[in-house]
Amino acid sequence: MAKVLYDEATRVYPGSERAAVDALDLDISDGEFLVLVGPSGCGKSTSLRMLAGLERVDGGSISIGERDVTHLAPRDRDIAMVFQNYALYPHMTVADNMGFALRVMKAPKEERDRRVREAARLLDLEEFLDRKPKALSGGQRQRVAMGRAIVREPKVFLMDEPLSNLDAKLRVQTRTQIAALQRRLGVTTVYVTHDQVEAMTMGDRVAVLKDGILQQVDTPLRLYQHPANVFVAGFIGSPAMNLAEYRVEGEEAVLGDQRIRLGRETLQALRKEGGDRVILGFRPESVEVVGDGEADPSTFPITVTVVEELGSDAFLYGQYAHAADPAMAAQTVIARVDPNAPPGKGDRVNLRILPGKERLFSVTTGRCLPT
Amino acid sequence: MSATEAVPRHPPVSAAPRGTPQSPLEETGRGTRWAVWVILALFMLWTLVPLVWMLMSSFKNRTDVTAATPQALFQPTLDNYRGLFSGPNNLTPYIWHSVLAAGISAVLAVCLGSLAGYGLARTAMRGKRHLAFWIISTRMAPIAAVVVPLFIIFRGLNLIDTIPGLVLAYLTFNLPFAIWLMSAFFAEVPPSLEESALVAGCTRWQAFWTVILPLTKAGLVTTFILCLVFAWNDYAFAVVFSGPNSQTLPIAASQLVTQTGVDWGQLTAIGTIVVVPMMLAGLAVRRWLVTGLTLGAVTGE
Repeated sequence: MAKVLYDEATRVYPGSERAAVDALDLDISDGEFLVLVGPSGCGKSTSLRMLAGLERVDGGSISIGERDVTHLAPRDRDIAMVFQNYALYPHMTVADNMGFALRVMKAPKEERDRRVREAARLLDLEEFLDRKPKALSGGQRQRVAMGRAIVREPKVFLMDEPLSNLDAKLRVQTRTQIAALQRRLGVTTVYVTHDQVEAMTMGDRVAVLKDGILQQVDTPLRLYQHPANVFVAGFIGSPAMNLAEYRVEGEEAVLGDQRIRLGRETLQALRKEGGDRVILGFRPESVEVVGDGEADPSTFPITVTVVEELGSDAFLYGQYAHAADPAMAAQTVIARVDPNAPPGKGDRVNLRILPGKERLFSVTTGRCLPT
Repeated sequence: MSATEAVPRHPPVSAAPRGTPQSPLEETGRGTRWAVWVILALFMLWTLVPLVWMLMSSFKNRTDVTAATPQALFQPTLDNYRGLFSGPNNLTPYIWHSVLAAGISAVLAVCLGSLAGYGLARTAMRGKRHLAFWIISTRMAPIAAVVVPLFIIFRGLNLIDTIPGLVLAYLTFNLPFAIWLMSAFFAEVPPSLEESALVAGCTRWQAFWTVILPLTKAGLVTTFILCLVFAWNDYAFAVVFSGPNSQTLPIAASQLVTQTGVDWGQLTAIGTIVVVPMMLAGLAVRRWLVTGLTLGAVTGE
C-alpha cells in the first residue's frame, strides 16, 4: 500500500501535436479509491497506463510510495492491473491465472496455493479454479481478473474500465462489490471509467479529465454541488445540468422574459472580465413548478415535450415557451417534478430556480463564478 | 461476490429456426446440389487417382507396372522397396539428407520467424507495412532467379554439397513466409494479454514465452508443416546445390530416370516414400492446421 503522485506527468504520442495527457498533477493518498473519468479520448486510460509503465512518460514524473517509478519497467512497480477485456490467459486454468504473478515471482507453491484459495473464497470462485476462462460467464471472468489482482497483494490496483463488458444489472451489482472489496483490502486504487455514475458511486475522490487536462478532482458530492467549470457541470450528474447563456443587464441575468438577480460578487467578477454574458446552470432538482398566479420575472414557462416517469422520480423535458431566438427555442430544459403528479405531455408549466441553487460560469473561461 | 450467473451446463445449440437455411447449399434446388456433388467427386478423383496409382504401382513387379492394360488386381510385391534399400543405390542416405535439410530448415524458420513475426506484429514504427511487404516479396521471385546468385555465394562459402547449404537455401524461401504467417497470428493476440503479463512481473521475453507463444500454437504448427513440406518436396534447390554428400529424396527419384530406361516400379516406390510422411504429418496435426489456416478463430478471449 502506498500513495501515488503524478507530478506534471505528460504524454505526447509520436506524430501528435497535442499532449494526450498534459501536465497531470494528482496526489492520491494511501488506501484511497480515486476514479479517473471523462469522455473518450480525454486521456484517462493513458494516465492509468503511464502509472502502469505501459505508456512512456514524456515529461514530469510519477511516484508510488516514496519511489520514483517514472522510468521503471511495469514489472518493477509492484502494481496489479485489471483490464477492460480482463486479459485472462486462455491456456491457463483459473487457479493458474490467479497465481501467475506469484509463479513469475517464484513464490513457494504452498504460499501460492494458499493465496489463490483465499482470493477465490473472497470472490466466490472456489468451484471454478480448475476451469479455463472460456468456460466461465462474463461476470465470473471479471471476478477472476479481480482475483488475479488481489492475489498479487500489490501496492496499487489499477482498473481500466473493468465493468464495461458486463450487462447493466451485473454492472451495478459488481460496482458496489468492487468498492466494498477495496475498502476492505485498503489498497490504493486508481480506477478508469467513462461512466460518471460509476465514478460518483465508487470513488472516494473523482478526477475529471478532458482533452488530456485535469478539470477538477474532488469528492463526488463536491463535484456535483460545486463544479469548477462548465464542462464538469455538464458532465457530472444524470440527467445533466441545464446550462444556458444569459445576457447581463444591470444586476440581472436575462433570457427571454426571465430575469434572475445576480449577487454582488458575481457582478464584480463579471465586471473584471468585461463580459456582458454569463452561463447560468441549474440542476433538474433545483427548480420548482409554480402556479400561474405566482409567476414573477424569475419564473419561466416551458412546454413539456417528454415526461420520464421512473417511479421514485419523474423528469420533464421541455422547451422554452416564449423563445425569442431559434437557439433558445432549440434548448431543452430538464426538471425533476413530483412523481405523484407529473404534468402531461404538451402542458405549459412555470418553473422557478430555487434561490441560491443556480451556478454561474464565465462565458470566456468556462470557470465557475462566485455567487 | 456471488456466483449466481453460472454458465449453463448445456449451452443452447445455435439451432436456426426451421425454414432458415443454414448454408447456401440448402437454399438451392436439387439440380444445383447434384452439380456440386459431381464437381466435388471429380475433384476427389483428380487428387486421389495419381496417388492411388503411384501407391499401387510401387507394389507391382516389372511386368505388371509396364503392362499395356493396367490391372487393378495383381500379385503385390515388395521387390521395389527391397531394391531401394539394397545394392549400390541404397536410399538410406538420401532419406537422411532429406530429413536433416527439411527438418532443420523448418525448425529454424519457425524459431526465427516467430521472433521476427512477433516484432513485426507489435512494433508501431513508421513504414511497418512496407517492411512487411518487402519481407514477403522476397519470396515472390521464382526459384530459378535466385538459384544462380545463391550458387555463387554458396561456392564462396564452401556450402555447395553440404546440409547447411541446403538448410540455408530453404530458409531463404521459408523464412519470409514464416515471418509473414506468424506475424498474422501474433497480431490476433490481444496486446492486453502481454501487458497483463508485464504488469504481473514478466520480462518481455517471459511474457512472450509463457503467454504469447502458447496461444499461437496453431500458428507454430501450421508454419512448421508448410515450411517442412516445401523443403521436403524441393527439387530445384537440391539439384543445383547438392552433391553426393547431401542429395535428397527427389534427387534420388530423378536418378532412376536413366539412359537405359525408367524403373517405374522403384520410381513410384520413392514417390510413395516422399509423399507418405508428409501426409501422415499433415493428418497428425490436422486439428491445428485447420484452426491455423482460419487464423482469427483461436484467440479465445
